[in-house]
Amino acid sequence: MSKRQLAMVMDLNKCIGCQTCTVACKTQWTNRNGREYMYWNNVETYPGTGYPKNWMELGGGFDAAGDLQPGVIPNLEADYGVPWDYNYESLMGGQSDSNHFQPHVSPTWGPNWDEDQGAGAFPQDNYFFYLPRICNHCTNPGCLSACPRDAIFKREEDGVVLVDLDRCQGYRYCIAGCPYKKIYFNPKISKSEKCILCFPRIEQGLPPACAQQCVGRIRFVGFLDDEESQVYKLVHKYKVALGLRSDYGTQPNVYYIPPTESPAKFDAEGKIIEGSTRLPVEELEKLFGPAVHDAIKTLKAEMKKRKETGVSELMDLLIAYQHKDMFRLDNNYYQEVAKAAKRNPLAPVDTRYIAGKFTKAGGHH
Amino acid sequence: MKKLLTTILSLGVAASAALAGDLSLTAVKVSDKLDALNADSALWSKAKFATVALYPQSAIEFNDKEAIEANKANKGKKAQVAALHNGSEIAILVKWADGSKNVQGIKCTDTYSDGFALQFAGTTKKAQPLPYIGMGSDGRPVVVHLQKATDKVYEPNGNKDVSTQINRQQTGVFGKELAEYDAKVVSLANTDFERVFVGEGFRSLTEIKDKSVKSNAAMKYENKGWTGTLVRSLKDDYVSASGTVPVAIAVWDGEKHGRNGLKLLSSWVAINLEGEKANAAVVAEATETPKGDAAKGKLAAETNGCAGCHQLDKSVPAGTMAPSLVNVGGYSTAAYLRESILKPSAVVVPGYNRNAHKNTPWYTIEKGKRVSTMTDYSFLDKATVEDIVAYLKTLKVEVE
Repeated sequence: MSKRQLAMVMDLNKCIGCQTCTVACKTQWTNRNGREYMYWNNVETYPGTGYPKNWMELGGGFDAAGDLQPGVIPNLEADYGVPWDYNYESLMGGQSDSNHFQPHVSPTWGPNWDEDQGAGAFPQDNYFFYLPRICNHCTNPGCLSACPRDAIFKREEDGVVLVDLDRCQGYRYCIAGCPYKKIYFNPKISKSEKCILCFPRIEQGLPPACAQQCVGRIRFVGFLDDEESQVYKLVHKYKVALGLRSDYGTQPNVYYIPPTESPAKFDAEGKIIEGSTRLPVEELEKLFGPAVHDAIKTLKAEMKKRKETGVSELMDLLIAYQHKDMFRLDNNYYQEVAKAAKRNPLAPVDTRYIAGKFTKAGGHH
Repeated sequence: MKKLLTTILSLGVAASAALAGDLSLTAVKVSDKLDALNADSALWSKAKFATVALYPQSAIEFNDKEAIEANKANKGKKAQVAALHNGSEIAILVKWADGSKNVQGIKCTDTYSDGFALQFAGTTKKAQPLPYIGMGSDGRPVVVHLQKATDKVYEPNGNKDVSTQINRQQTGVFGKELAEYDAKVVSLANTDFERVFVGEGFRSLTEIKDKSVKSNAAMKYENKGWTGTLVRSLKDDYVSASGTVPVAIAVWDGEKHGRNGLKLLSSWVAINLEGEKANAAVVAEATETPKGDAAKGKLAAETNGCAGCHQLDKSVPAGTMAPSLVNVGGYSTAAYLRESILKPSAVVVPGYNRNAHKNTPWYTIEKGKRVSTMTDYSFLDKATVEDIVAYLKTLKVEVE
């Protein structure tokens, strides 16, 4: 466990599935050098196959006794989807025989292949919601526990989970060990890579790109021990933000406000069934555990209170008025950390190996 | 050249028929430079081949479902090994059968390469006991040379060349300039996956990147088998070899999702440098056949409760309390087994990730030192210990 833990809260009532976060992350980190297929941030439709395909059934995480469970390493073509490209250049240059856009491979699968399909029968009771996912920067990471090379580490200062690419040898046990399949194998460099919670931004006081760009303003970022942070209030004070699949035992640090609002069902004549709700609470319980019932109760009560009295701190938080209040990164904190560690910027490697523990002359750069 | 190689290989096969599982061999002395040696070099006709048995590393089970399945019925393998030296460099050739050539694709997430590694004992004040076979142990370092079969790989981070870490579509150039950019990227590609590590126990390996170790490894696939070669200096910052060079061999099969611990490995093999005085004690340690009574040892292992933590028999599921010993007789020396019974904490490697099985730690850390959770069996009488060592040496799968 790290000294402090940076966390993110995502309000699922407000996610519109626009993928702006996905694009913000992709253009910043994963559009090159073997990372093309990776989505460190993705937004999937739930219920659905997710990304990678059926990730919840691919193993990893811990059992009740705390033992790491074996998992499966997804296949690029079948489970992630080969990133395809279009014939822009030949079309632009007029060198193409064809006069229309064509993908360079025939796509068979990709992220959001089943976007907006959801479950249920249209129009009676069909439903879905969006589930944005990044690395959970777990307190008990499955990836870290699976690594036989000591190549994954959790930063003391903020609990961000990183891969030391110097130590990583591309064994991929981390991918099997992560129940969220949020660590990826880069076949070009034969090493594992993952969401870094935009630590170079964070250290400068900026939120991760996915949170900054979110048009629905659904993402809150702050330290879990900072009682002034909205993250603290949502997770600990009101207990309305819950970890995803906490039953995997990794203690995730990305929290979700469960979707409480969904339209009523229609009967056979197409009439509204009063008091019904399309979104089965069992599905939410599967994702967020039994605490989801209390969270929903609190959210509904506060919503009612706000309607009736005009006052609710929780609702005001969720309206997300100001970025500066949503993101409490406490820039001075990182400056102090860097000063204390006599390194600026903070190095993205495990300090245990900076001196080259087992090599004689500067083996570790 | 091909004809010559066939001759060498047939020589090797003849040797294997006569000797099954050699633990010492002679590096023939030559006067030639060896640094450019590969599988096809004519010099190998001068070498003497020996057969070394390789056993599945089965001390721990990794958390990869498909790999566990693929390696369930693993058998041992025989490798043909030969060595040459010229007083300053040693060249080692390892040939092993592998029905399929596996090269990790650069557009795949779940394929693995075939490969081989040679482990050398690092320089220590005393040459013995030899380092723990699993990548050394505290104060007994090893140097591991790893060669994997790979496709052409573009590794921008290797050269820290930030300017080429841009997606071609974001370079802002078109046509001829874009073609030039593509060509530059290709020119930076790296075809060889050859790495050198130093370590003091499984999990502690650190890559030596400062080029202080001069070596050249290569592998070639032909006739349903690989031939791997390695040339390295006999003396450098990490290794100081003379007389007898202890070497251990490992091979990986990509078909079976082989990587890191998922491999076949030999016990220490003593390579005597022709023309130099062999180190008889090292040869004895590598080749020792225990004198005890294995049947009595099996009984003693039962009465002393070894199976309470260790897997001794493949038909019993392996726990997570202690390393499985089902192949320990294949890749461990008698000296190591004896030491482990009498002084369980003498060799405690960092091992598999302790977070994976928190309730069954193999060791505790006391005053910064790893202390094995295994009972100290130094109270056993000498004869019983020898019997158990003899029994443990019988624990190994069949070699195909």
